[in-house]
Amino acid sequence: MENPNESIAHAPLPTGKTLRFRKNPVIQLWRFAAINLKMINMIRKGHHPMEKKGK
Amino acid sequence: MARVLILGAGIAGHTAALHAKKQLGKGHEIVVVTPNSNWNWIPSNIWVGVGKMKKEQVIFPLAPIYKRKGIEFHQALAQTIFPEGFGESNKPFVEITYTDPAKSGQVGRIEYDYLVNATGPKLNFAATPGLGPDGHTVSVCTAGHAVEAAASLQNSIEKMKQGQKQKIAIGVGHGTCTCEGAAFEYAFNVEHEISAAGVRDLAEIWYITNEYELGDFGVGGMVFSQRGFQTTSKLWTESLFRERNIKAILGAHVEKVEAGSIHYELVDGTKDVLTFDFAMLLPPFRGVDLKALNKSGEDVSSEIFAPSGFMKVDADYTAKPYEEWVAEDWPSTYRNPSYPNMFAVGIAFAPPHQISKPRKSPNGTLIAPSPPRTGMPSGVMGKLAILSIKELIKNGDLAKVPTASMADMGAACVASAGNGMTGGSAASMTMYPIVPDYVKYPNTGRSVGDTFGEIGLAGHWIKLLLHYMFIYKAKARPGWSLIPE
Repeated sequence: MENPNESIAHAPLPTGKTLRFRKNPVIQLWRFAAINLKMINMIRKGHHPMEKKGK
Repeated sequence: MARVLILGAGIAGHTAALHAKKQLGKGHEIVVVTPNSNWNWIPSNIWVGVGKMKKEQVIFPLAPIYKRKGIEFHQALAQTIFPEGFGESNKPFVEITYTDPAKSGQVGRIEYDYLVNATGPKLNFAATPGLGPDGHTVSVCTAGHAVEAAASLQNSIEKMKQGQKQKIAIGVGHGTCTCEGAAFEYAFNVEHEISAAGVRDLAEIWYITNEYELGDFGVGGMVFSQRGFQTTSKLWTESLFRERNIKAILGAHVEKVEAGSIHYELVDGTKDVLTFDFAMLLPPFRGVDLKALNKSGEDVSSEIFAPSGFMKVDADYTAKPYEEWVAEDWPSTYRNPSYPNMFAVGIAFAPPHQISKPRKSPNGTLIAPSPPRTGMPSGVMGKLAILSIKELIKNGDLAKVPTASMADMGAACVASAGNGMTGGSAASMTMYPIVPDYVKYPNTGRSVGDTFGEIGLAGHWIKLLLHYMFIYKAKARPGWSLIPE
């Protein structure tokens, strides 16, 4: 089993630009809408009850 | 007229109760038995556990809601199911012991036509010596536990403000735990609070888990499509650990906890100790202490419940190696095969096996994350049981009941990584299906297009929205049923 902290040390480190992107309220408002749409799609898939089967 | 008895009022049980009243109407009786007087939006316990929310913001009393909706409520512990009745009577019933202070200790029996077991887990702190609020670690499993966790964390932060270094350990306290996502959330919320307090340089934060890789979350990890590439939840999670400087111990079974030290064994059989000043470790789960007796009074618990204490349903429980697991092993109706008028939903049903690959150390210790079945799937199952009961009441033996396998169900999950309207963040994830299906999706077991992850402030807003939305729904306010599970 590899040392996980070696693996963590070599994981991609977000740049300053990415971190600002993650905190920018205007961009995040857009992401809020986009993620919600994805989640609504997933909820729809999670709620398709569904074909019925006999007793 | 039929009587539907629902045991438990968590996400699955309470969802079932509200839908039962809506779907079955006044012609049938809906009865809820649960030992707790309050409903708890458990996902927000994370924020109570870091002092960002008060306990009262995540709980509310159940009795007024049930009174308003015309649902009979007993604050009591279900103890024995008599699925065939007893003695002269053929009517199935459940024996209960009241926890309601007004009737504390009194025993009662409630007959039923249909039973929905949504009793959730028993928090099995006893599986690991020294684990839990009665031992040496804190927990965020209940709102009360989370209040204690917040006080203990604040104590550590105060020590750091006085210049003392603190070692923080967060994770799971046994090789067979589930809910790694909650431990992950708590680790990052603690890191966020320590940073906000200006003492991050004095804190060494460790995440200790039974997951073989970061990003496993008990579902065997995920493969995402991101900016034209396929990437893994492992890489994505490792990146977050690097960014926030949190160290990890993976594939660990916690053997015991002593004051200031966690003794653990790894998948490779090595044993070590992690010292700590503050530790939050989640317990393993098992089924609640519920037994079943037949008409003659013989114990038939082993027929109805799996060895884990969870109720058997229409899953394939044949023991087989990981390589032979298939999506069809998972249940789709959640009906008990021996007594089909009994359903088990949410955490209360016995899964056929793990989702994540189980491993054993050379010493024979099982290190295998148990499958998560909380949140959205729990609500879906609770509603499904009621739709099935409605169909069974209407059409009897000719009924065609709806199905919802976790191998054909998607899930959306938002894992908080810090609280704050402008400074917060969370990992938003979706996956489809929850249980990988390597026949439909040969490469990754899941639809890559529908499996997604993103970190950012928007995720925090979504988690906050879900907090208010689901509490609104659980309070059965106008239009509650329009909010999906």
